[in-house]
Amino acid sequence: MPIKSYLVFPHVGKKEILIETLGDLNWCEILPSENKELIVLVTDTKNENEEEKCFKIINTIPALDHLTLVSGFEENANNVNK
Amino acid sequence: MITMRKKRFFTIGIFIVLMISSIVILDVSLISGSEEAKLNFEKESFSPSIPTESGVFRRSEFAMDYENMPENERLARKLKDYYGNRAYPGAPPVIPHPLLSEKGIGGQSCLQCHENGGYVDQFKAYTPVTPHPEMINCRQCHVSPKTDELFRLTNWTKTEHPDVEDNAALEGSPPVIPHTLQMRENCLACHAGPAAPKEIKVTHALRINCRQCHVPVQDLTTLKIEWDSTDQFFRKPK
Amino acid sequence: MNRREFIKRMAAASAITAAVAMFPGIVFAKEQMQNLPDGDILWKKSPCRFCGVGCGLKIGLQEGKAVAVKGDPESSVNKGLCCVKGYHSVMALYAKDRLTKPLVRKNGKLVETSMEEALDLVASKMQGTIDKHGKNAVSMYGSGQWTIPDGYVASKFMKGAIGTNNLEANARLCMASAVTGFLSSFGMDEPMGCYEDIDHADVFVLWGNNMAEMHPVLFSRMLDQRMQRKNVKIIDLATRTTRTSTASDRSILFKPQTDLAIANAICYEIINNGWMDTGFVKNHCTIKKGKTNIGYGLEDKFAFKDEAKGIDFEEFKEFLKDYKPEDIQELTGVSAKDIKYLAYLYGSPNQKVTSFWCMGMNQHTRGTWINNLVYNIHLLVGKISTPGNSPFSLTGQPSACGTVREVGTLTHKLPHGVVMNEKDRKMAAEIWKVPVENIQPKPSLHTVEMFRALDRGDVRFMWIQVTNPMVTMPKLKRYREAAQKDDRFIVVSDVYPTPTTDIADVVLPSAMWIEREGMYGNSERRTQHFDQLVDAPGESMSDTWQIIEVARRMGFEKLFPWTYDNHIEEIWKEYSLFHKGKKHGMVPLEVLKSEPGAQWPYVDGKSTKWRFHGKYDPACSKGDTYDFYGKPEGKAWIWARPYEPAPEEQDQEYPFLLNTGRVVEHWHTGSMTRRIPVLHQAVPNGYVELHPEDAKIMGVRNGEKVKLTSRRGEIELPASINERGKPVRGHVFVPFFDEGLLINELTLDAFCPISKQPDYKKCAIKVGKA
Repeated sequence: MPIKSYLVFPHVGKKEILIETLGDLNWCEILPSENKELIVLVTDTKNENEEEKCFKIINTIPALDHLTLVSGFEENANNVNK
Repeated sequence: MITMRKKRFFTIGIFIVLMISSIVILDVSLISGSEEAKLNFEKESFSPSIPTESGVFRRSEFAMDYENMPENERLARKLKDYYGNRAYPGAPPVIPHPLLSEKGIGGQSCLQCHENGGYVDQFKAYTPVTPHPEMINCRQCHVSPKTDELFRLTNWTKTEHPDVEDNAALEGSPPVIPHTLQMRENCLACHAGPAAPKEIKVTHALRINCRQCHVPVQDLTTLKIEWDSTDQFFRKPK
Repeated sequence: MNRREFIKRMAAASAITAAVAMFPGIVFAKEQMQNLPDGDILWKKSPCRFCGVGCGLKIGLQEGKAVAVKGDPESSVNKGLCCVKGYHSVMALYAKDRLTKPLVRKNGKLVETSMEEALDLVASKMQGTIDKHGKNAVSMYGSGQWTIPDGYVASKFMKGAIGTNNLEANARLCMASAVTGFLSSFGMDEPMGCYEDIDHADVFVLWGNNMAEMHPVLFSRMLDQRMQRKNVKIIDLATRTTRTSTASDRSILFKPQTDLAIANAICYEIINNGWMDTGFVKNHCTIKKGKTNIGYGLEDKFAFKDEAKGIDFEEFKEFLKDYKPEDIQELTGVSAKDIKYLAYLYGSPNQKVTSFWCMGMNQHTRGTWINNLVYNIHLLVGKISTPGNSPFSLTGQPSACGTVREVGTLTHKLPHGVVMNEKDRKMAAEIWKVPVENIQPKPSLHTVEMFRALDRGDVRFMWIQVTNPMVTMPKLKRYREAAQKDDRFIVVSDVYPTPTTDIADVVLPSAMWIEREGMYGNSERRTQHFDQLVDAPGESMSDTWQIIEVARRMGFEKLFPWTYDNHIEEIWKEYSLFHKGKKHGMVPLEVLKSEPGAQWPYVDGKSTKWRFHGKYDPACSKGDTYDFYGKPEGKAWIWARPYEPAPEEQDQEYPFLLNTGRVVEHWHTGSMTRRIPVLHQAVPNGYVELHPEDAKIMGVRNGEKVKLTSRRGEIELPASINERGKPVRGHVFVPFFDEGLLINELTLDAFCPISKQPDYKKCAIKVGKA
C-alpha cells in the first residue's frame, strides 16, 4: 500500500489545468500552493503495480513540467527496506 | 533560460531531499504565514513573540565551554527527574527548590542563576538554564509546590515522554527533535552544559547549527518510513 | 483518523516542508494545513477557560482526551505564550469528584437521579413558583463564564419567554462599574482600544491592578516591549506591594478609595500646566456633573438614579481646585511630587499612555466615578482611541464581555440596548418572536438585591449556573442563610461540588468548556469559538442545552426549535441579528471557526481595533477624526466626580482595613484550579498578608494563625509575612479562592450606587493572634 508525496511543477500558466487533471485521478490528493507555481501531490495506491501505472499516467499530463519525489511510505509496517 | 531554471530546480531539489532525509513536519511558521483566500475577510497580521527560529543559535557562545566541561556523573540530572516535575511533556516545569523571593521578577531573582547556570552548593546541583531568558515574569508559568497533597484526587494521567533510544529515521542518522519547539527553540539550553540530563546531552555542542541535521517531528517511532534513495528525482520524458 | 490517512498527511507534511525550504514564503491553503499531523497528538484551538485576557490555546488531544496545552502562536492575544493556569487548564476536566449525574435533595440529602427526572423537577418547580408567587419570584444567576450561547438562551428564556428581568450574572460583582463607566462617559460599552496598544504605548499606568499575577500574559507583553524599546515605563499605582510593583519602574502606594482624589489631582495638574489638548476637549468633549453624597446601598431596596447636568469648563476648573496635589497629600498618602510626575506622564505631548485597571477600580463603592475620572485624564490630553493611547478596562472572566455585557445577561439589559427603551424591547420581541408585552420595561433586581430578595422571600426560586456565590457573595452569612430558608428552591449547574452545590435542591452536571461547542468574548471585544473537543462525562450537559430542555418543558419549545447538532450555529445567527451594523457587527461563524478570534465591530470582513476614530473605525461619520458616536453630537463626557470616603473606615474597635483578591495560581473560587495538582500544591490554602511591623507587634510569625474579625464575621488564617505581597501598615490582604477559609464572611455588601457592584477591597476589621 504505497503512499508517496511529490512536489509537482506545472508548465507556465498551466497550474489550474494541472490541478484539475490531477484532481480527477482517484489515487491523487493535491495541495496547491496559493502563491507559487507548485502543487504538493500525495498518491495513495493499492500496490506496486498500481503505483507504477499511476506514475506513468501522471507523467503523460501535458500541463506537467516535472515532478520530484519527496517521501514514500509503505503502510505494511514490516516491509521497511524492500 | 528554461533549461537553466530546470537545472537549478534539479540541484535545489536534490539538496533539499537530502537535507530532509529523515522525516518532516509541518512548520509552525508556515501556518502563521499562510493566508485564508476563500473567505472574504482580512486576517490579522502580527509578528509572533515566539518565532520558532529565534533562539536556535542562542548560547552558542558557550559551546566551547560546554565542550570542555568535565562530566560529573554523580551530579548529572536524569531524564526521569527532568520529566518528573512537568505535568505533561512540554508543560512548564515546577520549581523544586526554596525561592529567593516571592515577589521577585526575572533579573532580580530566578535569572540570576537560571540565565547561565552553574553549580549551587546549597542544592548540590547544577542549575538548569532557561531556553527563554527574555521572558522575565518567570512565576507566570513556573510555580513552586508547598505541599505534596492534593485538594481532590485526579484522573489525569501523564502522557509518556518521547523515547530517546529509538528516534532516528535510519540507523546512524541524526536523531530527530521529538518535542515541539515552542518556548524551547534554543537547543543548547537543555541539551548542553552540566545541568543537561545525560540521556539528552549532545556530544558535539560546538556544531552550532543544530537544526541543520536534527529536524523536528513528534513521535516518529510510531511510523515506519521507507525512503527511496535511487529515484529521488523524476523527469517527465519529453 | 485512520492510520492510512495519518500517513498520507505525514507524506504531505514532508512535501510541504521541502517546498518551504525551496520557496521561502510559500503559502498553502490553511484548511488543508490544519489537519497535518504533529506526531500522534492532534492540536485544536480554543480560548483559555480562565481569565478575561482570552489567550488562544492549542489543546493536544490523544485517544479522546485532552493531554497537553501550548499557546497558540497564531493568536494575536498571547502570541504563543500562556500562564501557569492556561498550561495546566485541561487538567481541570479530570478531577475524580467530577459531577456526572444529577442530584436531587431528598430528606435533606442530595441523591442521584436521572437527567430527565431532574430537568422535569426544575421545570415544574419553576412553573409552580410562578403560579404561586408570580413570575418575579423566579430568578436566574449566571456568569461571565457562561458561553455566549448560554447567556443568549438564558436571556431569551427569562426576559422573552417567562417575562421577568430577574436575570443577573456574577459579572455584576466584577465588571458592572466598568460598564456604567463606559456608558456614562462614552454611551457605548467596552474598551475603544485593544491589546495591540501595548505594542505602541510608551507609558503604562496600572491603577490598582496586580497585572503580573492577574493578567500575566498581557503583563509579559508589556515587559517584552520595555525590553525592546528603552523609553517604555511601567508605573504601578497600588495599595499594596506586589510582584507587579517589583517589576515596574515606579511603585506608588496610595490609601484605598483616594484614587478618586488622585485622578482629579492629575487633571488639575494637566490643566494647570497647559498640557490639556484644548482643541480635542473643545471639539470632542462635553463636561457634566452628577449627584453627590450618593450613598452605599447598605440597606435593602436601596435605589439611586444619577442625573447629568452640563457644566462649563470654568466650573470644572473650579471643581478641581479642591485637588491641588499639595492639598491631598495627607488624604491620599501620595506625595505631590508623585502626583505631578503622573500628571507629567499623562500630559507630556510626545508620550503615548495606556492605563490598565481591573478589580481595584471596579470593586469600589465609587466604581463608576473612578472609571469616569480615568477617562477624564485621557480625554483632557486627547490620548484615546489611537494606537498606544488607551484607557483600558481589563476583565476577569473569559466571557464577562462576550456574554454578560454583549448578550446582556443583567436585569436592565437586552442583547441590544436596555429594557427601559421601547425600541430595544420591540427589536428583541421581533427577533425572539414573542409579544413585546412579554418584555418588562423596568429592571428588577441586581445581584446583591436579588440575594436580599431571596432572603426576604420576594424571590423563591433561583437557578445558578457556572458560578459559586456561596463563596463570592459579600457578607456571605446572610445570603447563605437566605438560600437555605424553607420554601426556597435553588438549582445549581456546575462541574464539581462546591459550597454552592451544598445549598442546592437540584444539582445539574454541566459539560465544561471544550466538552461542548461555544464562544467566549474577551476584554478587547474579541469573540473566540471552540469546538467540542472531548466527550462530556456521564450525563453532564451544556448549560445552553439545560436551559433549552427546561424551557421546552415549560411550553416554550417554539422559541427554542433547534436540534442539538445545529443549536450553536442557529443561536449565533439569531444573536447576530441584534448587533447588525457598523457599531457592533458580530463576526460570522465561519470566520470564528477558522481564526483564533476576531474583534467586533466586524465590518466588511475586518476587525475594528480602535473605536471612535475615523481612521480605524468605519462607524465614525466625521471623517479622519474622533467621533464618540455613543453620545449626542459625537462628544464624550468628562465628569466632575468628587472624592467621597468609603462606607466603613478603620476605627478604634476595627483598626485594620481588609482587602481581598486573587493569586496567579488560582482562579476565582478555585473550584477548577484547586483540582489541578500543580496549582493546588503551589498555593494550597488561603492566608492573610500582614505588614511585617504589624506582625511583629502582634507577635505573629510567618505561618502562624491569625484571627480576623469584622462586624459580620470572623475567620482564622495562617499569616503570610513578606511573601507574595506586602500590605502597608494597618492593612491586610486575603485571597478569596479557599472555600475552606471563606473571607467573604467578613466583607461588606456595600456597592456603587450607579453600577450596583460591591466593594470587596475595603472593610474594617480587627486582627489578632489566634
